[in-house]
Amino acid sequence: MTEPPSESLRSLSAGKLVRDGLILLIATIVVAGACSMFGVARLTGNVWRMRLMRLATASAVGVALSVAGMALQALLRNPLAEPYILGVSSGAGVGVLVGSILAARGLLQSGWVNTPVLALAGAVGSCLVVYGIARRRGRLDPYVLLLSGVVINVFNGALMLAILKLSRSSDIINFVGWGMGQISDLTEASLLTVCAACILAGWVALFLRGGWFNALGLGDDVAGSVGVPVHHLRMETFAIAAIMTASAVALAGPVGFVGLIVPHFCRMIIGPDHRRLALFSGFIGAMFLMLADTLCRTVGEWVNVGSVPVGIITALAGGPFFIYLLRSRLKETSA
Amino acid sequence: MSEQHVIQAEGVEFRYRPDRPVLRGVNMKAQAGRLVCVLGPNGSGKTTLLRCLLGQLRPSAGTILLDGKEIERHSPRDLARLMAYVPQTPRSAFAFTVGELVLMGRLAHTGLLGLAGAADLAVARQAMIMTQTLPFASRMLEELSGGEAQCAMIARGLAQQPSVMLLDEPTSALDIRNQLMIHRMMQRLAHDWGMAVVCISHDVNLAARFADQLVLMRDGRVLAAGQPLEVLREDILQQTYDVQVELIRAAQGPPVVRAT
Repeated sequence: MTEPPSESLRSLSAGKLVRDGLILLIATIVVAGACSMFGVARLTGNVWRMRLMRLATASAVGVALSVAGMALQALLRNPLAEPYILGVSSGAGVGVLVGSILAARGLLQSGWVNTPVLALAGAVGSCLVVYGIARRRGRLDPYVLLLSGVVINVFNGALMLAILKLSRSSDIINFVGWGMGQISDLTEASLLTVCAACILAGWVALFLRGGWFNALGLGDDVAGSVGVPVHHLRMETFAIAAIMTASAVALAGPVGFVGLIVPHFCRMIIGPDHRRLALFSGFIGAMFLMLADTLCRTVGEWVNVGSVPVGIITALAGGPFFIYLLRSRLKETSA
Repeated sequence: MSEQHVIQAEGVEFRYRPDRPVLRGVNMKAQAGRLVCVLGPNGSGKTTLLRCLLGQLRPSAGTILLDGKEIERHSPRDLARLMAYVPQTPRSAFAFTVGELVLMGRLAHTGLLGLAGAADLAVARQAMIMTQTLPFASRMLEELSGGEAQCAMIARGLAQQPSVMLLDEPTSALDIRNQLMIHRMMQRLAHDWGMAVVCISHDVNLAARFADQLVLMRDGRVLAAGQPLEVLREDILQQTYDVQVELIRAAQGPPVVRAT
């Protein structure tokens, strides 16, 4: 047997990760710059500020949903896992909605503390229910998990409708766009700061677990045997994904399918290594949502209907993509 | 050959449900430099025993000792440096190359991100040379034959530089040639590399030919344990498998078992 050249056994280096990170950071800044100038010819100080806040919100939401999606796919060894599909986003949505209605009625102070906390409570609640249904003998059934997510989504959707029905009509109008996933020009700076800090911390935490996510692909027993604390990793990742999703939903409502589209796109470009994937998913998620939101804002301005919810574009792209992935997976399992 | 590294089960009991014990007071021991094959019919508790030895399942009674220390007292990282595991079916949910899979065996030896250095690459390379998988380093696991893929998983285990290697029916989906190759490899790990190797098997004859010790299980209990010549008796085999067997004496080595 002839021995191949030594290049055939290569490892990811810290230098390569730093280089990737810098290139992606520069690309994100360029995209943000381009998006900020797109659409309106004359930018006054106020419009600039609003646009920058909007881009910052879009990028934070993009990072959160993409990286949470990547982590859930790694954890569950399921390419279809994603915060929106698993019902985590809609759970967070119920939390935000309850908080907003209570605030509108003067029963709760609205703001940067209550919104993320209630979103997190809803996200964690949905996570626990989905996880509890799909867990049998310490293992998670991937298809039961997806079905549980679908059921929880329907349930949370009904809860949101019931809450809206019981609320005053002046409150409802604010939620029509939000319910579809909309990035606002008027995000509170304090809310954005808190949510962005949570998202950044979650991103770093999941990036550092990239090596463990790689090993999880070999199965729980093998991953455990190479030193991965599988049970703790599962709990931590669900918690971090819930925090990131709750932050995203508190900022923009339930934006769907970003966590599905972006990690898969990144996998196609750079392969399956979750250490690089965490970097790429975050930055490309930020770029993707900034571009999608700029498109929505521009289309809204052209047709004079105000801002179009970004969730419409992500759902129009993500729905067919989900069906494509589902069919590919069915083909794989039946082969 | 060092006798230092030992894995042993002492009075191990395990149940998935309170009314259904899977392991009932199992005692067994694997010492450094020995290949121990665990045999028994389906549902006899072999894989559950292996998962207990691995530390993935916690016994409801009894203890698992690794180098004299209870397995729960080893951290996951320490455990991975002492013991490796090869599953029945080699699989990877993500499209990693064989080289990348083998390097995952270095996770417990590297920092938080699992970035492998020159020393880790050298260990992984050595493991791949030993298992003859270096030529496949840049190929995907699913592109390999069953035997090659199983060798890649053994290389990943060797990259951990363990003292104990546990294998769960590693030859169940392989042809005779690959079955022989894997059994020879396990024997080399024990005899040449001084590891304690525990392998679950369904092939009595191959196990008897290569193992230093056989453990026969039935209904969660160890029926017999010892050297192949001591254990391979018609009455014990009939009690284990519930079938009539005939022992064909060979000029040398253990007898050949034939079900009648």
